[in-house]
Amino acid sequence: MKGILFALLGGACITLQGVANTRISQDIGTWQAATITQLTGFIIAALIWVFVRDGKLGDFKKVKPLYLAGGGFAAIIIFTEVTAIQQIGVTLTISALLIAQLCLTFIIDINGWFGVVKQKMKMPQFIGLAMMIAGVIILKF
Amino acid sequence: MILFGILLAAIAGAFVSMQTVFNNKVNEQTGSWTTTMLVLFMGFVASLLASLIFEGKNTFTLQHVQLWYWFSGMIGVGVVFCLVQGMRRLGPTYAISIVLTAQLGTALLWDSLGWLGLEKIPFTPAKLIGVLVIIGGILVFKFGGRKETKSESPVAE
Repeated sequence: MKGILFALLGGACITLQGVANTRISQDIGTWQAATITQLTGFIIAALIWVFVRDGKLGDFKKVKPLYLAGGGFAAIIIFTEVTAIQQIGVTLTISALLIAQLCLTFIIDINGWFGVVKQKMKMPQFIGLAMMIAGVIILKF
Repeated sequence: MILFGILLAAIAGAFVSMQTVFNNKVNEQTGSWTTTMLVLFMGFVASLLASLIFEGKNTFTLQHVQLWYWFSGMIGVGVVFCLVQGMRRLGPTYAISIVLTAQLGTALLWDSLGWLGLEKIPFTPAKLIGVLVIIGGILVFKFGGRKETKSESPVAE
C-alpha cells in the first residue's frame, strides 16, 4: 500500500515538475527556468548526499564520460516539454512524451544499444504502443 | 501547431529515454543520491550554458521571481525519493506502471482545472477515454510477457 502511494506521488511530481517549469517560464525565460530548477534541485540533492553518502565522487571515474553527461539532457528535455505544454496543454504533452519515451526505450532494449541487455520483440509491446497512440488520437476529438 | 507541439513532446520523451539509460549506467557504479546529485549538476551546467548562448546577459535579469521558484528543485528530489521507495516495495514493472498512470492522471487534472495560471483546457469525456486507453496501453506494454529490465531507474531527470 505504501509502495503504491509513493509511486502515485512520484508520478504526480514528474508532471508537476513540467507544470512548475512552464509556470516559471512565464516570468523568466525557459532556459533560466531550467537553470533555477536544476540548480536548486542539485543543492538539495547535494545536502542529502552529505548525510546519506551512498557513494563516493571517485565512483564516477568508473563510468564512461558519455554516460556522466546524460544529466545535461535535462536542458533539452525541459525546453521542449515546456514549449510543448504551452502549445498543446499538459495532457497531450505528457501522452506524446511517454509514447516516444517507451518507443525509444523499447528500440534500445531490442538492439542492446549502450550495452543494455538485449531483449526480444514481443507482440504485447506493439499492441501496448498502438493502444497508446490510439489514445492520443481519441484525446484530440 | 498541434503537430509541432507533439513533435516537441516526442523529442523530450526520446531524451528522457536516453537519459534514463545513461543515468542507469552511473547508478550501477554508485548510489541513487550520488547519481542524482551528478545528474542535476549536469542539468544545471547545460541549462546555464544554453541560457548564456540564447539569452546572453538576459540570463541574469530575473524579474518577477517568486519565492517558490527557488524551491522548484525540491519537486525533482521528491520524485527520486518516491520512485526509490516505490520500486523497492513494488518492483520496477508495478511501480513504473503506477508512476506513468499518475503522470497522465495529474496531467488531465491540471489541464481541466488550469491551476498555477496555466491555460485551462476544458474536460470532456473523450479526454478521459483517451487517457484510459493510453493507460491500458501502458499496462499491456509493461505486463505483456517481458522480462524485467533495469532500464528505468529512480534517478531525477
